[in-house]
Amino acid sequence: MSALGGSADFDLARTEGPGSGQIFRSFRTAAALGWKMEANWTDPLLFFIYSVAKPVASALILVFMLEVIAGPAGRANRGFVVVGSALWSFVVGGIAGLAWSVLDDRERYRMLKYVYVSPSDFLVVLVGRGVARIAVGGMGALITLALGVVVLGIPFDPFRIDWPLLAAVMALGLAAIVAVSILLAAVCLQTRQDSWQYPEAVAGALFLVTGAVFPLAVLPGAVQVAGLLVPFTWWIEGVRRALFPTGLSAIGGAGSTWASLVGPGAPSGPSIVLALLVTGGLATLGSMAIFRASERRAKDRGLIDQTTGS
Amino acid sequence: MSLRPFLGEPSASPAEAADWSRRRVIGNNLRSVLGRAYPRIRGSLREKSWVAFEIGLPFLSTSAFVFVYRAVQAPPEYIGFVVLGGAMTAFWLNVVWMMAAQLYWEKDQGNLELYFAAPMSLMSVLFGMAIGGLFMSSSRAVIVLVVASTVYGVHFTVLQWPLLLTVFLLTLTALYGLGMMLASLFLMWGREAWHLTQLMVEPVYFVSGLNFPVGRLGMLGALAVAIIPLAVGLDAMRQLAFAGGPPPVGTPPADIEALILVAMTVVFILLARVMLRSLELRARREGRLTVRWR
Amino acid sequence: MPVTDSSSGLPGAASPLAVPAIQARGIRRVYAAKPEPVTALDGIDLEVAPGEFFGLLGPNGAGKTTLIKILTTLLLPSAGQARVFGFDIETETKKIRRIMNMVAGGEQSGYGILEVREQLWMFSQFYGIGVRDGWQRVDELIEAVGLGDQRKQRVSTLSTGQRQKMNFARGLLNDPWILFLDEPTLGLDVSAARSVRELIGAWKAAVPGRTVLLTTHYMAEADELCERIAIVDRGRILAIGSPAELKKRVQRESLFRLELDRLAGGPASLAGLPGVVSAVAATAEGSGAADEARQTVVVNLVLEDDAALGGVVVALDPLGAHIVALAKSEPSLEDVFVELVGRGFDDDHAPEPVLRPDETGHPDVAEAAR
Repeated sequence: MSALGGSADFDLARTEGPGSGQIFRSFRTAAALGWKMEANWTDPLLFFIYSVAKPVASALILVFMLEVIAGPAGRANRGFVVVGSALWSFVVGGIAGLAWSVLDDRERYRMLKYVYVSPSDFLVVLVGRGVARIAVGGMGALITLALGVVVLGIPFDPFRIDWPLLAAVMALGLAAIVAVSILLAAVCLQTRQDSWQYPEAVAGALFLVTGAVFPLAVLPGAVQVAGLLVPFTWWIEGVRRALFPTGLSAIGGAGSTWASLVGPGAPSGPSIVLALLVTGGLATLGSMAIFRASERRAKDRGLIDQTTGS
Repeated sequence: MSLRPFLGEPSASPAEAADWSRRRVIGNNLRSVLGRAYPRIRGSLREKSWVAFEIGLPFLSTSAFVFVYRAVQAPPEYIGFVVLGGAMTAFWLNVVWMMAAQLYWEKDQGNLELYFAAPMSLMSVLFGMAIGGLFMSSSRAVIVLVVASTVYGVHFTVLQWPLLLTVFLLTLTALYGLGMMLASLFLMWGREAWHLTQLMVEPVYFVSGLNFPVGRLGMLGALAVAIIPLAVGLDAMRQLAFAGGPPPVGTPPADIEALILVAMTVVFILLARVMLRSLELRARREGRLTVRWR
Repeated sequence: MPVTDSSSGLPGAASPLAVPAIQARGIRRVYAAKPEPVTALDGIDLEVAPGEFFGLLGPNGAGKTTLIKILTTLLLPSAGQARVFGFDIETETKKIRRIMNMVAGGEQSGYGILEVREQLWMFSQFYGIGVRDGWQRVDELIEAVGLGDQRKQRVSTLSTGQRQKMNFARGLLNDPWILFLDEPTLGLDVSAARSVRELIGAWKAAVPGRTVLLTTHYMAEADELCERIAIVDRGRILAIGSPAELKKRVQRESLFRLELDRLAGGPASLAGLPGVVSAVAATAEGSGAADEARQTVVVNLVLEDDAALGGVVVALDPLGAHIVALAKSEPSLEDVFVELVGRGFDDDHAPEPVLRPDETGHPDVAEAAR
């Protein structure tokens, strides 16, 4: 046995697929790498500012729009808007995670092909790489919520939090965020370098239909139906319900499609969880299928290691 | 096989070859604008996913803010403000993503040192990038403006078309001047350019009054008008596009804002020139024009 | 005063009053790095005449790329001065950029979505060539470098060798007075590397009077292409001279391996000829089975210089000997490097080099010989 390698005999066992331990190891390693890269670009203070400035600014835009323009009517909805906006920053950061990792590793670090040919599952590594941005988005969301309570005076009673509901919707919601992120990664495998903006564009579009900052009842009926099929709509509703049980519902209420289908009143906690499970599950299955198809197409056309600068 | 092809008369000496007239320098810079715009335009024609992602989806994003105002029953002119703001977002994103962050990415790709080693001005290259991105941005802005106005029933009342067009062009020139300044800063500051880009997007949306008249921000609005071209330009365009509406609150009239934009253009471009030169000097001193590891 | 004038007989060398193509004095470059600063260049003095093909030869980390970046105005020296055709690299950068171009090996630069033709045209605009003229020039250069079939192919789909040819075409777009080549064959296979070297040689032959500065760590490349070479290690120039001059440092005599069909009197019959230092029968390692089978005589000749070979050849006929094979045995440039530094190109563990240029202490061998 030489110092450079192991046994001279070929070991067939090494060609066996990875066990669950290897999958977890790949995920953990990729997540650690993602965090290092996400947190390493500047000093901690600027990193903190960056993590906070974007979601806080988004929230302030909406608060201002409502309160300065709409007056007391807007002020009454402050909590609704701030919570939705804070959670939306979580969504934006999360769905961009995998997509930007694909673009990063392919165009800048030129490592994507090496990751791809390694025995680790490609999707697992990408998800690991992307979770760091989800974490940063979550941090920003928490800080925005805290500022909303402390500075903007949103009424909040920590003893009234519905913890089981919160735990359930957070787990399912994070899975939905990862699912949409996988879908965007699939798109970016096919597109060129200038697709950095696509995740934000998608988030901006979904912003319209998910009841993040205004009730779905304002939208035309068909658009409301589209919104009810998006898992984020149920996730935001669930978190709002868990944290602010007496707050306004984005899904129910007068004039909403939900009311016409189910009846007056907001959806209950179990309804929310079930709807999130179904819509999130469909999103997950769909995004996985699209990702695998995209991966095949990328292999077929030699896109895994292409560079597409312009 | 001859490697001798050349065009025109060869120069007699290096000194003669290096001595360019002012006219030739200007011509070189103008051609460089064209040269750098070319790959961007070609790229957008070859790979067309941007049509959906950079036009279709932003229309929906603008629509979201329209519905926010409808939800709170805001005065109807605010719908028009949001639509106009949504259209102008395209140009701001062009400046931030396609200019400010671009030098950093060029360094990563290994193109930056080739740019510095060539005789043209780096400002020409940046301007070319902006012009190249203008194709996509303009498409986005026009479609958002036209479709959103039609769908949401926005009525424009323009009494001074020449001033409106002038303000629009001045907004672009001031924005591009700012973009050139940011390009040099990003190159020196950022290890991850788009983090800085992200910092520029949402907060600037807020203080520029992308979705509401910036004058309503009080002192903050006044400050924004003083230093952010998007805030000034958008406010002036709103006044001109919806003439006859309520007078501006907290901001000057459109003709004064046009003059502010002229001043911004001059100042930003001069500052950009100074900063790019000092950037180059500093980058050459510290060896930052090339990157061995990313 | 330029060192490389008529005394070295370089083609295209200018008169003593001509401005040197490159003039560097006391160039130092220190990089601020952790845990301690790195000195990449430590007092480089260099002069390259117009029209010269000059090489910088040294191992990785010797400072070759740092020096070329300074000369191409991409990097400032920490100390010292340098000029390119009389233009200062710190204050007259624009003028230098108008008359020079550079091509580096292992480059991944370029816009993948563009075609070869478009990529080159874009750069033609950066060098101030007219829009239509640019397309014409690009098409001519694409044919000249052998990329005619790839003209409409996207840059991202080119092979490494094709990409380097494209880079070389880019380097010639503005008809540069001085071309800087930084390891241009790095990462290329044998065929592609040869192709690029041929292009370089063909260009130089087509436009005599143009100057080339080539950095490389491939001995054969420097030997083949360069008229003069500076051997660089750890930021210092250890020796400058033509390949032949540098090899003479290691071995002043000329070594030949002479295979004859017969030799009356054996090698001793050649030993007394003018200019012959020694003539001995080849050892078992020096002669192979083929020699034995052919029953030839192999002689290792040591001559004072190459000129003595003529006398040996003339003397063979009266001895009834006919030449079967003749090969010159030369030290390689790596032998020169080892002689200078005390370690090979790949050996990082040797102690700090002891500068042993020659008796005068001047690294330029030709200058020292005068």
